[in-house]
Amino acid sequence: MDEFTRQEKLLNTFSTLADTLVADYDVIELLQTLVDSCHELLGAAEAGILLADSSGNLDVMASTSEASRLVETMQLGAEAGPGIESFTTGKIVAVPDIEDVPEAWSQFRDSALDLGFRSVHAFPLRLREKTIGTLNLLRQTTGDLQAQDAAAAKAFADVATIGILHERTMRELDTLADQLQTALNRRIAIEQAKGFIAHTRGIAVEDAFSIIRQYSRNNNIPLSQVAARIVDFTLELD
Amino acid sequence: MADERLGEALAALDNSVGEPSRFHEPFLRMLPLTGAAVSTIGPLLGSETIAASDSVALRIDELQIDLGEGPCWDAMATSRPILEPDIRDNPRTNWPAFSAAVMDQPVGSLFAFPLIVGNLKIGAVDLYSSERADLNPTQIHNATAMASAVSRHVLRRALHEIGGEYENSGTTYSRRIVHQATGMLIAQLRVPSDDAALILQGQAFATDRTMMDVAQAVVDRRITFVHGSEGIEVERG
Repeated sequence: MDEFTRQEKLLNTFSTLADTLVADYDVIELLQTLVDSCHELLGAAEAGILLADSSGNLDVMASTSEASRLVETMQLGAEAGPGIESFTTGKIVAVPDIEDVPEAWSQFRDSALDLGFRSVHAFPLRLREKTIGTLNLLRQTTGDLQAQDAAAAKAFADVATIGILHERTMRELDTLADQLQTALNRRIAIEQAKGFIAHTRGIAVEDAFSIIRQYSRNNNIPLSQVAARIVDFTLELD
Repeated sequence: MADERLGEALAALDNSVGEPSRFHEPFLRMLPLTGAAVSTIGPLLGSETIAASDSVALRIDELQIDLGEGPCWDAMATSRPILEPDIRDNPRTNWPAFSAAVMDQPVGSLFAFPLIVGNLKIGAVDLYSSERADLNPTQIHNATAMASAVSRHVLRRALHEIGGEYENSGTTYSRRIVHQATGMLIAQLRVPSDDAALILQGQAFATDRTMMDVAQAVVDRRITFVHGSEGIEVERG
């Protein structure tokens, strides 16, 4: 692929990624686009993205192939290898010759060499102090990545990080919105129920509240639930 | 110089934490306007004024809550300030009911800033001037920054209260009486709560009163709603 075409494709990739951040989007699709771009544009035979779960263990979230041996190789690297190293240190880990890795990484080494991979580069998915995973590029030749490929991979990693954190924030905000709405509806129901009982019994609103609260305690039903049932006519206090 | 005033106003806001009824003050420290009101609006925190500098500011917010339209609502919907520097003679927007109602108030200019945290839209700040006034870009920027700060304070308080025990106290301008009156209508008319709320609102419009006034009359038992031969009727006494 000539340089111009490659540049254009890179720009298209970033443009697509930027689009996905704006609308409702599928974060898994985002990650898949990234690893596929690493394969297509950066000379990676295979690529994968590992994300940390709540216990801090890295799992393969996207890869250029579902081939179980590839996934296994990456998983091994996530336990003892470039993946976990990059995740823990928050730094780029370059392995220009897989034959040359520490003994502790031997399982990863053997699995990778078996599949014909000769070099691997791991990029942290990191935003300031927070590293949430890694982007791993596996190649069939030895040697370091070219400078512009490494720069592109780092940019991909940065985009992936922002995309993932953005989606998490949106989900947290949605949860928060639900909680706020529920709390509001409960408060409103309680006020309405006070008025309801005040009318049916001909008493003051404060006294109505005492009655509702008493019923709630006597029957072990949450106050807001008693209130909701009163105003939708499914509960009659005797 | 504008940044100093923003800094001072933000500091004053931090110092007033725990007193939401003072959340309007920092705006008036910073801006040469007559009055301000801060309200929560919508399904997340409910529609209620939490701070107001004077009765005019309070009324401007109350009108918008009663009518369900106005600069506050638009500011929230668009997540942008709504600026009406000449709302009497040269309004940029015509709100069918609000524009007419606000004419009864000594208001020359009206500016509304949304209260938003992330994608959570929780309310708006209304700033008014009795005479015509303009806000320059720096002032708009500062008011927006202040609105952001107020939003976070308001949301933080609301989050504290989630899952807490029901409290029988409310904010200074609580509209709980509107909900209590709605509850009475539910019992009187045996209709669903949404219908009861609309009936209450309709009575307010029909008699040119605020919803709070009508709600007070209901709770005081001065008026009762019944099903009459020609629809819903209001009985007095």
